[in-house]
Amino acid sequence: MSAFEFRQVSFAYPDADLALREVDFEVAPGEILLVVGSSGSGKSTLLRCANGLVPHSSGGRFSGDVIAFGRSTRSHHPRELADVVGFVGQDPEAQFVVDQVEHDVAFVLENLGIPEQAMRRRVEETLDALGIAHLRDRSPSTLSGGERQRAAIAGALAAAPSALVLDEPTSQLDPQGADDVLAAVSRLNADLGTTVVLAEHRLERAAPLADRAVLVDGGRVASPASPRAVLTGYAGAPSVTRLGRLLGWDPAPLTVREARDAASKHPLIGATIADPLSDARGDMLVRATNLEVMLGAQRALANATIDIGQGEVVALLGRNGAGKTTLLRALARLVEPSRGRVDGSGTVAYVPQDPGSLLFAPTVRGEVAETLRLLGRRDDDAVEAWLERLGIAHLAERHPRSLAGGERQRIAVAAVAVGGAEVLMLDEPTRGMDAASRNALEHAVKAHAAAGGAVVLATHDIELAAQCATRVIVLGDGEVIVEGPARAVLAGSLYAPQVLRVLPPFLTVTDVEIALARTQQP
Amino acid sequence: MTWLCWALAGTTAIQLAPNPLYVLVVIGVAWVVVSAHGLGGPFARAFPWLVAAATVFGILRVVLTAITTHGGSDVLFSTPSFTLPEVLGGFTVGGTIETQAVVYAAAEGLVIVGIVAVFAAFNAVVSHYELVQTAPRAFHELGLVVVVALAFVPSIITSIHDVGEADRARTGGRIVRRGRLLRRIVPVLESGLERAITLSESLDSRGFGHRGPSARERGAGWCGALALLGLGAAFVALVASEGAIALVLAIIGAVGLGAAIVLVSGASTRVRYRRRPLTAADFACIAVVIAAPVLVGVVSLVGDATLKWPVDPLLWPSVHVLPVVALLALLAPCARQPAAVMATAPPRIRTAPPATVDAP
Repeated sequence: MSAFEFRQVSFAYPDADLALREVDFEVAPGEILLVVGSSGSGKSTLLRCANGLVPHSSGGRFSGDVIAFGRSTRSHHPRELADVVGFVGQDPEAQFVVDQVEHDVAFVLENLGIPEQAMRRRVEETLDALGIAHLRDRSPSTLSGGERQRAAIAGALAAAPSALVLDEPTSQLDPQGADDVLAAVSRLNADLGTTVVLAEHRLERAAPLADRAVLVDGGRVASPASPRAVLTGYAGAPSVTRLGRLLGWDPAPLTVREARDAASKHPLIGATIADPLSDARGDMLVRATNLEVMLGAQRALANATIDIGQGEVVALLGRNGAGKTTLLRALARLVEPSRGRVDGSGTVAYVPQDPGSLLFAPTVRGEVAETLRLLGRRDDDAVEAWLERLGIAHLAERHPRSLAGGERQRIAVAAVAVGGAEVLMLDEPTRGMDAASRNALEHAVKAHAAAGGAVVLATHDIELAAQCATRVIVLGDGEVIVEGPARAVLAGSLYAPQVLRVLPPFLTVTDVEIALARTQQP
Repeated sequence: MTWLCWALAGTTAIQLAPNPLYVLVVIGVAWVVVSAHGLGGPFARAFPWLVAAATVFGILRVVLTAITTHGGSDVLFSTPSFTLPEVLGGFTVGGTIETQAVVYAAAEGLVIVGIVAVFAAFNAVVSHYELVQTAPRAFHELGLVVVVALAFVPSIITSIHDVGEADRARTGGRIVRRGRLLRRIVPVLESGLERAITLSESLDSRGFGHRGPSARERGAGWCGALALLGLGAAFVALVASEGAIALVLAIIGAVGLGAAIVLVSGASTRVRYRRRPLTAADFACIAVVIAAPVLVGVVSLVGDATLKWPVDPLLWPSVHVLPVVALLALLAPCARQPAAVMATAPPRIRTAPPATVDAP
C-alpha cells in the first residue's frame, strides 16, 4: 500500500481558477518526497490535500480522490486522519493551541483518547526525538524560530503518525535553525520510517535529504523522479547544481561535496577577480553612532556604528535574535535608541518582516498606489514601473491577501519602495520566495542602489547576500562582529555561499558566468 | 485549585476588612505572590497595568464622588456649583467639597484596587490551560474556546504595534492622519482572521473533535435543552408569583442540567495529560489560605472596630495585630517551590525511565 495516492485530483478554491489540475501520483511509504515549484504554483494546496484540509477546510470544487494510508479524504475529515498524517503549515506560531510546549505536544494524544501511561511515554519520546525536552515548560511565543518550528513538528508528531506533511519548515529560520529542523526530520525518517512530504524553496539543505522530488507548475504535478533529475532543469535549484549546469558537469551535483570533487581541477579556481562595486560608495545617507537600543530590560543592540552611503547594498547577517531587525528599526527611526544617535539626510523607508502588517488595499495595484496617495502624489507610471520591476504586474488586480507568501513579500517591497525613499530597509525579504521572485528582487535592489539610493537587507539568505550585497555586516548578540566587503566577510564564514566553497574566489554563479565569458573572449 | 481558593480567600478577606491599611496588606501580598510565582507570560506582565488601571479608575471615582456627594461636616474647599434638572437626577454638581466624601471614596476605591490586584495576581500565576484541565469534562470544550481566545490577546497587541509601525515606516516617517484608523484596523483584523483559520486547521489536523457526537452526548444535549426550558418557565412562574409551580419547574431544570453534565462527562473520550491530584501539601496550603478570611470573619463577629473605617468623625485608621496576621496567611503559597504550588503543574522531576528515550 502506498502512503498517499493522488488520483486525478483537480481543485479550485471558491471563485477562482483551478489550483490543481489532474494531479496523479503516489508517495511510497518511508520515503522523503520533496515538493518544489514557484510561489503560487499550488505546492501548499497539494500538501493540504494530503490530510483533507483541502477540501474540508478550504471549500471549493474538488474532483478525483486522495487516499492516505487506505483512507479516502473524501470520506475522512482531517481530524479522522490525525493518527496517520501529521501536518505542519507555513506559519508555526499560529498553530499552537496551548501556551506551553509540553501540553501542546500532548494535545493530539488527548484528542485521540490515548491511555494516560502511553501518553506520558509518547510525549517524552517526541520531545526527545526533536531535541526540545529542555523547552517543555516554555511558552511557544518565547522560543527562537528554530525551536518553535521543532515544537510545532512535535505537536504533529506526538500521535506517531505514519506520515508528516511539512509546508516550508525552514523558510523563517537562520541556517543553524534550518539545519536543526531538517536533521530532526531526516532522523525521524531513518529511525521510525516516517514518510515525509516536504515543500521547500531553500533547497541547499533539503535536496540532498530527499529520496524523490516532484515539480509543481501552474497546478500540474509531474511524476516524481530523483531530486537530481528534477532539479537539474529547475530555476530554483541550489547554486551548486546551477554551477554544475553552467560548467556542463554530468551528473549535476546536489551537494557542495559532490561539486568540489568535480571542480578540483577546474582552471578557474584561484583566479583573481576585481570587485567592481567595492569603491562605489557615494555620499553618506544615514549614519548611526554608538547606537544602543534597549527592548524592555534586554539590550538588543550595543555600540553599533554604521554608515550607509549612496550606491550601497548592505547585508546584515546573524542568527535569529542577533539584533538585525532592531538595527533596521533604529536606522528607520522607529525605535528610540537609549544611547547614541542616528543622523543623515537620506529618507528611510522600512519593509517589515511580515508583509501582512502592511497590506490592506483590495488590489495589488491599489496597495502600491496607496503609498503615493499618502505622500500626496499621483504617479501611475511609477506604480506600473515597480509592479513590473518586481514581477507582480500580472497580479495587479488580485487581492493581496489571496496570494502566496513570496508574492505578498514583493507587494510589500513595491508598496514601500514606490514612495521614493533613498534608503530602503528590507527585513528578511526573501522569505518563501522562489527563484524568479528572488531574481526580480535582486535586480530591483541593485537598480535602486545604482540610481543613487541605498538598500539595507536583514537576511538569513547567504546566497542573496552574495548575489547583491556590496558590504556585509555580521551581528551577534546585539553587537557588530565583522564588517567589510561582501567577498572578504563571506569567505571566512562557516556559512559561506556554496559557489565560494566550490570555486573560490567566486561568490555566485553569475560571477563564474562573467569570468567564463571573459576567458573565452580573447 | 489552590490558586482558585487563594483568589476567593483574598477577595473575601478584602470585603470583610475594608479598612485601607488591611487592603494595603492584601495588595502587598498579591505583589509578593506575583513576583514569586509569576509565570512570565503576558498575563504576568499585565499585573502592574491592571493595578494601575484600577488605580486610575479609583481616582476618577474619588473626583466624581467628591463633586456630587455632599453633607459632610469638614468642608475642604468650595467650587462653583449647579444643580442638574430633576430629569437627570436633580443632584448638585460642584459646590462644597467635603473631606469625608473624598476620604470615603478613596477608601472604597482602594478596595476595588485590592480586588483587581488579587484577580490580576491570580491571572499571572495560573496557567489558563491547566485551569481548563481541572474543570469538569463537560465544560472542557467551552473552556478551551476561552483559553484560545485569551491566547489571541497578546498576538493582537503585537499585531496592532507592528501594523502601526509599518504604517509609519511606509511613508519614510511622514505621518498621514487621514484614513489612518482604517489603515491600522484592516490589517489587524485580516491578520487575526488568517491566524484564526490557521488555528482551526491546526485543531482539525490534530484530531480535535475526533469522534463526533456520541449517543450519550446527544442525550445530554436534549437534557440541557429541557433544563433550560424548565428554568426559563420557572422564572416566568416566579414573576407570575406562582411559587409552588416555580419550585417544581426549577427542580426539574436543575435535575436536567445535572443529568446533562454527568452524561457529557461520562461520554467524553478525552484523556487528560498529566493530571496532578491534590497532595497533602496542597490541602495544607488551601487550609491556611482559607483560614485568612475565616479568621477575619470571626474577628468581625467578635466585634473588632478596626476592620471598618468610620470616616465621620475622621480619625486615623487603627490596626489590630490579629487581622494582619490573618491576612498574612495569604502568603502561604510562597512558602513552597514555585512549580509545586500550582495544583496542576507538572512536577519538575522527570519520571520517564531512560529506556523510553530512544525511539521505539
